[in-house]
Amino acid sequence: MMANPNLQGTSVAAQPGSGEIRLVNVTKQFGNSYAVKDINLTIPHGSYCCLLGPSGCGKTTILRMIAGHETPTSGEIYIGDQMVVGKPPVERGTAMMFQSYALFPHLTIQDNVAFYLKMRGVGKEERRQRALEMLQRVQLDHLKDRMPAQLSGGQQQRVALARSLITNPKVLLLDEPLSALDEFLRLKMRGELKSLQNELGITFVHVTHTQPEAIALADMVVVMDTGRIDQADTANIIFDKPKTPYVARFMGGQNVLTGTVEKSGNGVLKLKAADGSIYETAHAASSAAAGSPLSVAVRRDRVSLKKGRGNGVNAVNSIAGIVDATEYQGSYVKVTINVASDVFVANVSDSAYFAEPVDTGDPVVANWKAEDVHVLSKVDSGVAADHGH
Amino acid sequence: MSPSNAASKSPLTTYLQVAPLMLVLLLFFAVPVALVVVVSFFRYQMLVGIVPDFTFRNYIDLFSNPTTWTLYLSTVKFTLITLAITFVLGFWIAYFLVFHVRSLLIAIGLFLVCTVPFWTSNIIRMISWRPVLGTEGLINSALIKAGVIDQPLQWLLYSDFSVVVAYVHLFTLFMIVPIFNSMARIDKSLLEAAVDAGATRWGVVWNVVLPLCKTGIALGALFVVTLVMGDFFVVTVMSGGLSGSATSGIFNDLQFLNYPRAAANAVILLIVVLLIAAAIFRLVDVRKELVR
Repeated sequence: MMANPNLQGTSVAAQPGSGEIRLVNVTKQFGNSYAVKDINLTIPHGSYCCLLGPSGCGKTTILRMIAGHETPTSGEIYIGDQMVVGKPPVERGTAMMFQSYALFPHLTIQDNVAFYLKMRGVGKEERRQRALEMLQRVQLDHLKDRMPAQLSGGQQQRVALARSLITNPKVLLLDEPLSALDEFLRLKMRGELKSLQNELGITFVHVTHTQPEAIALADMVVVMDTGRIDQADTANIIFDKPKTPYVARFMGGQNVLTGTVEKSGNGVLKLKAADGSIYETAHAASSAAAGSPLSVAVRRDRVSLKKGRGNGVNAVNSIAGIVDATEYQGSYVKVTINVASDVFVANVSDSAYFAEPVDTGDPVVANWKAEDVHVLSKVDSGVAADHGH
Repeated sequence: MSPSNAASKSPLTTYLQVAPLMLVLLLFFAVPVALVVVVSFFRYQMLVGIVPDFTFRNYIDLFSNPTTWTLYLSTVKFTLITLAITFVLGFWIAYFLVFHVRSLLIAIGLFLVCTVPFWTSNIIRMISWRPVLGTEGLINSALIKAGVIDQPLQWLLYSDFSVVVAYVHLFTLFMIVPIFNSMARIDKSLLEAAVDAGATRWGVVWNVVLPLCKTGIALGALFVVTLVMGDFFVVTVMSGGLSGSATSGIFNDLQFLNYPRAAANAVILLIVVLLIAAAIFRLVDVRKELVR
């Protein structure tokens, strides 16, 4: 092998320019339908951002527009301080990892990784050498002469990663990178992606429809709903303090309750639900006019259960119902309760559950504390979809 | 069929399953070819006809006759020109259909348009070129009326040009279909991945599309080569009898009832075509690509 002094400095960590991504009023129309409508989003340099939403919500379209494989109908996209709409991917400093990995089936994995260098006119010896170094980073150098079809899914993904990283990107775009892997590999690769991002310090934008994946990886989670961004925040805020009923439901850890404001002031909001239940908050940031409808959320794991029908009177912050199903999850038990017109879910810790087990058909009363009630900024439209986990 | 199932069967069953096709191939392919080879060593005697013999006379006759060489050279020339033109046309038409036409329905419609030349008989197709390319034809009268030329272009019809035009007209589809087939199997995200890695439009075609279409190109080339090499009708009609092909030689010998020499010529042609096919398969491992 040739010892080329120019290669000593080859490192993916050296980043020219900032990888901050800014989307300004971005809209993408396909025919008459909007894939993405009037989106504004800033992803800070060096952050791990997850675009999260159900299929068809426009998250992949956003990723492809950042990558330059799709052109926005209107609006502007900035990477660093460069307006990139209309520019090819290489000039943007982005690299994309495709869902299917999109490895060139006719090239060895070394040539796959070297493809970018070949396009840049780098000589054969040098590009092979640099590709080999990149393959060493992903621990696949011993397979350099294999064809992609001869590799396992996990190995193919590493090759795809190496092929993206050799372009020295400011931004790495990942389109559902873990969806084709089995559960074990998925968790392993998830950890590796996170540590890789820490090590490189570049911006990662990761599209997924799996909530635990987003929460585990992201510094910033962007929850999307049919072409709009519902909330963009840290994973903790998204999970603990969702803004809207949609986010609360989609993230799965919450029960959404709706009522009419009875009393408001001093951080205390008193709601009356349609069935007469009273919900109270301890420290609501906002106040609301009496008589207006309002939705609140209660985390499933902040609910405690008691067997029985209650005392007939509606106690504050409690709801009575019949157990519909119990699901053992190891550290907790998911108890689904049929209440008046909706479904209420309590995640009871295993010790609490086995101290007083409940079974399907048992009447129970669920209680929670006022400080665990979180006020949502939108009134629930009543879509009782359970995306729960 | 599961492997265990196959293993449990005796070899006899397998042979029985293959037998019908083997029989058809033997009767209608192997036996006739063997007969041709045998007859090519027979002797031809004026007024008597075919005399069983073992002589290289026919082969020596053919190889020492400059006409044979001229005919083969002309056939190879037509083959190469047709191959080049049909490849360029076929590749880009397939490329357009696969990567630029977004609606599948329109792509299928356009694909059907490509088959229009085959909606009528070969003779009518050939004759229809006359009003287009002839001295008083469409092109010549248009060019004269437009003042581009004073005299009609004589080389449009009954020339090598018109032969090639007819070949391209007839055989481009045989190039389009296999190339279309292998192109349609290319994952579109491969093209985007190439663009992502900085490839230009040409870079994508050269580094990704072309290598992944090798099978289709090889099969298309095989079709075109065998069709052009085996043709004598188009070349006779379109050249007005001025050009010939290797097959024309065979046809002439048959008309004089000189079956042994026709057979010898057929064997030579067969060997030439097989050599070309072998060369094509050497360049592209079609079998390996097909199972990929």
